[in-house]
Amino acid sequence: MMAANNYFGFTHGGTQYGAATAGAAYGGQTGYAVAPAATAATYGTQRAAATGYDTAYQAAAATQDVYAAAAHAHAHAAVAAASAYDASKSAYYQQAAAAYPAAAPPQPQPTYDAAAAKPAYSTPATYTQNTIVVQGGARAGGGAKAYGGVYTHTHSHTATTAAASYPAQPYTAPAAQPPKQSANRGNTAYDTALYNAATMYVAQQNKTGGGGGWKNYNKGGVGAGQQRRPKPPPKAQQLHYCDVCRISCAGPQTYKEHLEGQKHKKKEAAVKLAAAGGGAGGAGGGGGAGRAGGGAALRCELCDVTCTGADAYAAHVRGIKHQKVVKLHTMLGKPIPSTEPTKLGGAKKTVAGTPKIAFVASGGLSTVASTSTKEQKPPQGDKDKEGDEKEDEGETEPEVQPVGQDYIEEIRGDDGKALSFNCKLCDCKFNDPNAKEMHMKGRRHRLQYKKKVQPDLEVKVKPSMHQRKLAEAKAQRLLVRDEIWARRRMHEGMEEEERGYWEGGMEPWWPRGPLPPHHHHHHHGMGVPYGPVGRRPETSDDRHVVAKHAEIYPPEQQLQDIQRVVSHTEKALKSLSDALADHARPKAQAGNKAQNDKKDDKPEGKEDGRDNQLFSFVGEGEAAAGGAEGAAAAAAGAGTAGTAGTAGTAAAAGGPRALKGVMRVGLLAKGLLLRGDRDVRLVVLCHDRPTVTLLKRVATDLPAHLAKVKAPGDDTKYKVELLPAEGAVQVSDGSINVLVSLTSAVMREPAEGGDIKRDDKDVLPRQKCLDALAALRHAKWFQARAASLQSCVIIIRIMRDLCRRIPNWTPLNPYAMELLVSGVMQSAGAALSPGEALRRVMEAVGGGLLLDHGPGLRDPCEKELVDALGNLPPQKREDLTASAQQFLRQIAFRQIHKVLDMEPLPKLKHATGGWKFPRKRRRSNTDTEGDQPNGEGKVVKTEEKMDASENSAKK
Amino acid sequence: MVRGAGRGGRGMPGRGGMGRPPFNRPRVLMLRPPFDLILAEPAFPRCKPAPDDSALTQALLKRHAELCPTPAEQSAVLSLVTKLQTVLDNLVVAPGDFAACQLEEVRQVGSYKKGTMMAGKNVADIVVIMKTLPTKEAVEGLSNKVNEELNKLMRAEGAGSVSCGCHERGFTVTSSGAASAAVRVLVTTLHQNLRKLEPEVHLDYKVISSHLAAIRHSRWFEENAHHSSIKVLIRLLRDMCARHSGLEPLTPWMIDLLAHHCIMNNPARQALPINVAFRRALSLVAGGLFLPGCAGLPDPCEAAHARAHTALDLAAQDAAAATAQTLLRVVARGGHRYVLGLQAFEGGKDISTEITVWDGVVVSPLAPAYQETPEPMDTDDKDDEGVQDGVAA
Repeated sequence: MMAANNYFGFTHGGTQYGAATAGAAYGGQTGYAVAPAATAATYGTQRAAATGYDTAYQAAAATQDVYAAAAHAHAHAAVAAASAYDASKSAYYQQAAAAYPAAAPPQPQPTYDAAAAKPAYSTPATYTQNTIVVQGGARAGGGAKAYGGVYTHTHSHTATTAAASYPAQPYTAPAAQPPKQSANRGNTAYDTALYNAATMYVAQQNKTGGGGGWKNYNKGGVGAGQQRRPKPPPKAQQLHYCDVCRISCAGPQTYKEHLEGQKHKKKEAAVKLAAAGGGAGGAGGGGGAGRAGGGAALRCELCDVTCTGADAYAAHVRGIKHQKVVKLHTMLGKPIPSTEPTKLGGAKKTVAGTPKIAFVASGGLSTVASTSTKEQKPPQGDKDKEGDEKEDEGETEPEVQPVGQDYIEEIRGDDGKALSFNCKLCDCKFNDPNAKEMHMKGRRHRLQYKKKVQPDLEVKVKPSMHQRKLAEAKAQRLLVRDEIWARRRMHEGMEEEERGYWEGGMEPWWPRGPLPPHHHHHHHGMGVPYGPVGRRPETSDDRHVVAKHAEIYPPEQQLQDIQRVVSHTEKALKSLSDALADHARPKAQAGNKAQNDKKDDKPEGKEDGRDNQLFSFVGEGEAAAGGAEGAAAAAAGAGTAGTAGTAGTAAAAGGPRALKGVMRVGLLAKGLLLRGDRDVRLVVLCHDRPTVTLLKRVATDLPAHLAKVKAPGDDTKYKVELLPAEGAVQVSDGSINVLVSLTSAVMREPAEGGDIKRDDKDVLPRQKCLDALAALRHAKWFQARAASLQSCVIIIRIMRDLCRRIPNWTPLNPYAMELLVSGVMQSAGAALSPGEALRRVMEAVGGGLLLDHGPGLRDPCEKELVDALGNLPPQKREDLTASAQQFLRQIAFRQIHKVLDMEPLPKLKHATGGWKFPRKRRRSNTDTEGDQPNGEGKVVKTEEKMDASENSAKK
Repeated sequence: MVRGAGRGGRGMPGRGGMGRPPFNRPRVLMLRPPFDLILAEPAFPRCKPAPDDSALTQALLKRHAELCPTPAEQSAVLSLVTKLQTVLDNLVVAPGDFAACQLEEVRQVGSYKKGTMMAGKNVADIVVIMKTLPTKEAVEGLSNKVNEELNKLMRAEGAGSVSCGCHERGFTVTSSGAASAAVRVLVTTLHQNLRKLEPEVHLDYKVISSHLAAIRHSRWFEENAHHSSIKVLIRLLRDMCARHSGLEPLTPWMIDLLAHHCIMNNPARQALPINVAFRRALSLVAGGLFLPGCAGLPDPCEAAHARAHTALDLAAQDAAAATAQTLLRVVARGGHRYVLGLQAFEGGKDISTEITVWDGVVVSPLAPAYQETPEPMDTDDKDDEGVQDGVAA
């Protein structure tokens, strides 16, 4: 019920207030009476205790619905436990909002917790929000706007006026307000609220009165000084009098012209500003506060003119303008204030401890206004206080202590007498000691001193026109901004979104509301610097690496040639294998063979080993045996031949083939071919130990089979060469050489040491066979591990080229290099662009990874700990490291072209200016080059596959 | 404006200012940390026995013992600092008739504060924050006042005398005694006064802000780098840098950060043994930690994304990396005694610039990569905003 009252009082007050600002009757006390009544009911005891403040309070409450609002908030506070009012406004708001629909049941609470409720109003933003919620949107936007604006005004006044310490208390420690406040604690809180209300009242008065003089002037009239607008003069009067400019016009025409004139408009704007947002400007907007800026200024109330000193004032009073106004006012019958100047800078001390409400009631508004400006200034040293005191005694000019004695050097003549003085701060000279003294007290000198020596020195600022304009502009901006905020709050509504915005820069918030763009940028930049930022732009290093890569990448024709030769060789080997198998069991498997032929004709059958996996010769008909053999072969590849190999031999009972399958290894399988590479390798897995006999057989039979698999129109001449020392045969078509090594998983079995010796003479060299097996495993490792790393394949190609070109790098064997690069990529923890990747490799080597004390390159294809680079002599390591170090620095200093041995690419057009990756350039790169830098490895692979499929399509 | 609260006042003027839109600096995001073997351990598991590093460890510890200041030096500097602090504190609390400047705060910074002083360099640092602007006259006035007060104090104790000498950073108080000590009083001003500085009237802006930075550095150090291994490594690295011309430009603050990184930044977050950390430091600098285009070491005391090494100019960055690269290879060949300075190399020559032969392995220095080109190189990395550390080594 009480809450309902409050609520009612608030809305009512709100509407009334809106009306009041609109210029309607101000003395509508009845409209506001509800609010004090409600609060009176709530805080009866305290009020009784504080009767001394009653009148002021009445006045304050009558004027200030803000107070009612505070009371209203208090009702919420009761529901939502005062502890909720800690520093986080958001919590407050949420709870309040939640509590609100519950009609906020009344809660008799002896202590008035205004202090706890107060923090909610510490920001205009929150306040506005609250207003909106309370009024349920019933209020028009214009009303809310006016409200927000006014609030800012009063708020800033409380902050500045109310003797500093008073509002500061609830501001600084709002969270510490426990709900169990004692009675007298509550009393102080009440005082606070009261005082705030009173000061707001003052501010309000000040605002509506537009400076004390105005108020005084109107005192004889209605007593309501809020009529700021230029109103048409009373009809009875013939004189056309402009209230704002205090001039009369000869006729309606001139009066109209005056009203439309710039001078008038300017003044009017200034006055309005003073009314609406002048207080927010802090420095005193354009209004009364600004005019009072000069410390000891004297004011002519009549003409609304501020004079800087007594002399100036006297001159003004004597002046023609003043006389004119006096005459005019006499004519109009308007009251003429005394010619005694109103002192503006007289800074009557309002002591923070005791709120002097009576002071306000007495109507010395101008003095209070000036107090507020006075209080804004930082506390000064002794001398300033002294000055204040003197002013209190009625002196017009404050005594200024000379400053900056140290900076005035005396230029002495020959006799040691001071001839002249030089002020180093102001760069000026005097001959006279008095002039020096005057200078040291002077404003210019003090300003220089403030600027160059002591920043907190107080210098009386003469409000120049320019400064005033600046202040006005600032106030205007503030006003506009507040308005925008208020409007945005309305759009926003939900506090969750607000938090999301702060914490994560949530997207949904963005499109709403008319936001000033700089907010977006700023917060977005702050909030998500590490978020997903789309594609990384390409650096110059990247471009060089990619360009170099394109240069060393084998041309289409070369790839096709290799593809063709290898494919033919594989098919021929398959055919050979079939023939051997048939030869071994001519009769028993005749039907089987037919079946095999049929299988071979099937279009989906694998024709060669172009997928870089094992191309098994074993047909489906032999699946029973072949399955196990395939497993054996795979096991060999995985480096666990020891156990699986026996499985293979176990399966041999079913009539195994001598040649089980063929696989591409080395460059071909890894996709590392470079321009000019002509040698590729195939490894044929044999069932048993490959013998020289078998090798010879292959060498003699292969040409026939090669001729068989050739396409009809193909007239390539294949030459087959027997290389027993290598354990291989070499197929060559003149330009491309395919080395076909024979090996077997059985070769790895050391357990059968005795057996190996048995047919030692006939078996191919063991080491070569083991190498071939290792090559198989390396190929598999590469496909499984390295190829999937971003930029890895491209960098390995680049490094291969490097190793080919530079003697220092030649000792680095290809497999070790692959291990190195893939390890470096892997350790980066994220995708690297090609340029970064190359640099990182250089960093690793340059940082001493390959030096003697380094960890070595562990070969993942061996069971034991094997250093893939174990045999590198120290000098080579040293040279390698030194070379990498030099390269690294060259890359760092934009000489990557030297490392890559190429011409430097021209800079991109947009690379001008200090910022290397302006948006524009990034965009254009993305557009033109697509996925090139990142998906390079994959691109190459697919290219190869495409080649292959094209080939097969031709056939 | 409520939101604006967090916006202003952060970082130094000059950084982020100058009307740069915040989006125009994406490169900060692009820079990567260099290859660091300690962090890349999983990718490069050790597959051969670790070398016996006890010789290096012994040498490091021995050298460190030599570098530690003697108790006499320590006590001399301690007493001078204490007295000076007393005098300055008095000026802060009760300036009396002293009007040359107003003092806000006095703080000890630098190697004295951090506990990383070196033998033979008995200079402590104290930063004086002035409320007023630091004009040269103010500095002189303060120096005279301090001199007077300090001498009064010394006379009372009968402990010799001090002398003050002004320079562009403030002034230095030197005590003449059995063990000489000196305190550099570095003058700075309140942060909000920084933009009011004028080059011809006041001390240099860079100097002033570097003194403010020194306070931040000391605080950071106190909080993060109190492990004694770090201090050991700092002394060793500082000594090494002082003796090799290429590494000389590295500021103490960079060395602090580097040492902290090398000791503490590892997967286990436990301090690494000194020999490992020493090798790591060399290896990181050799691996381009302080080269352009590298993320380097983020400066914890500057606004976001500042890198410690950008205070070096490009030629210095190149030289530092090149020197560290040569030294790394020398150490790898067992030449650590020369690198550490336990043994002078061929009549005091700089080993990082000489061709040396170790067991038949030739280790040669490297040519600089940086060239002064008429057209400025597009290194996009020339941050001159880095703040020089003004603290004594």
